[in-house]
Amino acid sequence: MSAREDEFLEYVQSGGQVETTDWMPDDYRAKLIKFIEMHGNSELMGVLPEREWILRAPTLQRKLALTAKVQDEVGHSQLIYRVVSDLGKPREHCLDDLISGKSKFHNVFHYPTKTWGDVGVIAWLVDAAAIISQKALLKCSYAPYARIMKKICWEESFHILHGRDVILTMMNGTDAQRELVQEALDRWWGPLMQFHGNPIPAEDDPMYIWRIKSQGNGEARQQFLDGYVPQIWELGLTVSDPKLRKNDDGVWEFSEPDWDELKHVVTGHGPKTEERLGLRRTTRGETEWVRRVVLPEAA
Amino acid sequence: MVSTVLRRVSARAEPLLPIADDELILGWRNSEWTGIAPFLEEDVAFSSIAQNEIGHARAIYQLVAEELGTTADELAFDRKPEDYRCSPFVELRLVPDWAKTIARHCLYEDADQRRIQELIEADDPEVAGLAAKIDREEVYHRMHAQMWFERLEDEPQFQEALEELRPLVDQRGEHLPEFEHLWQEMTEVRRSVAGATW
Repeated sequence: MSAREDEFLEYVQSGGQVETTDWMPDDYRAKLIKFIEMHGNSELMGVLPEREWILRAPTLQRKLALTAKVQDEVGHSQLIYRVVSDLGKPREHCLDDLISGKSKFHNVFHYPTKTWGDVGVIAWLVDAAAIISQKALLKCSYAPYARIMKKICWEESFHILHGRDVILTMMNGTDAQRELVQEALDRWWGPLMQFHGNPIPAEDDPMYIWRIKSQGNGEARQQFLDGYVPQIWELGLTVSDPKLRKNDDGVWEFSEPDWDELKHVVTGHGPKTEERLGLRRTTRGETEWVRRVVLPEAA
Repeated sequence: MVSTVLRRVSARAEPLLPIADDELILGWRNSEWTGIAPFLEEDVAFSSIAQNEIGHARAIYQLVAEELGTTADELAFDRKPEDYRCSPFVELRLVPDWAKTIARHCLYEDADQRRIQELIEADDPEVAGLAAKIDREEVYHRMHAQMWFERLEDEPQFQEALEELRPLVDQRGEHLPEFEHLWQEMTEVRRSVAGATW
């Protein structure tokens, strides 16, 4: 590492923030692009499991709320790709790499949504897990990313309220509805526990070293458990992990998440990966002519 | 089921239900573009339009529901397919055909403007007030449709789409076969647990 790079590292590690036009090491730029692009991809791919349920939402209010939520996710991806584009990778390239399978997206968006219970669990718990990661990005060393995260976290917090309300309504409903929620929670618990990633120590995590993230994976998972397991129990739901408990020192104990599954899924082998990328490929192909007409540079 | 109630709708509800049903079903169709539009900006735009349309449907259903002793949700979801009064024009499933989607958008906004204007001028102040409120949002839909019309007007496939769809604008009556599928999907969750609150 050159003296200039050392100085940069010291600067970000002491809380310094970088703007688009500032000098930055190539490795930092590459890590930023990879990390932020995956976030943009995840927002966009996160639309697909939920979009099917806009059409099936059981009341007008739920339909409006879910449509607005999914719209927010697309809006987030739009903002995030803009940040990536300023770092040197245009949005169209990101989308090409997404559909070709070259770039990745979060594990939770590779799974099917089977019932309206899944819709509630996604909006409540998947978004809760995501907001924990996103709040840790408010202090990101790359200032433009940190700035848009404020808006994103603000909107995500509404999604959690919406999700919680969907779940509460069902838990206060019939036995059949409570069963839908419990089954959905059982399906999502594994992916939720994998969501924050391998428990590598923060100091070995390149994204932490560069202060792109401000906390380690294990820490984020603990925060999720601490914030949400008590609420899950309070609603009368059970978590399908017999080892799950909070120790006297305040640390949550749990069964080791299935890291092989996580790796398998995020490398493009999830139960819905191919179908969802396929849908994106097809529709991108079918609307190619529109971009050619509208964007002179695409002609 | 509210079907029996609806066979004898009030004079006030008579012209309003087809509008609400059109807005609901077109809102449903427009939301099918969520996540797969040609540009992320259009995902967001069509989603806004869909939300407005579903919001208009809800407002009209609420007005009608008070008279019929039912609720907006029951009108939106609990009727039999044959009791919906939407036009086949809004029932058409057009995803992923952007030319036809924009053609319908332009033709619909134009036709909708005329009938909303009639309601604004109606003697019923509650209906006129609601129509004026709806029209304030429709202005933006028309601007969006106009912008796309100008972008695509030289494209042969857009012109063909306009020609193909124009005769359907004022058609009413029999539902298209795809409406049954739409209805099944739209009411699936609601029908899955009888009598539940969602």
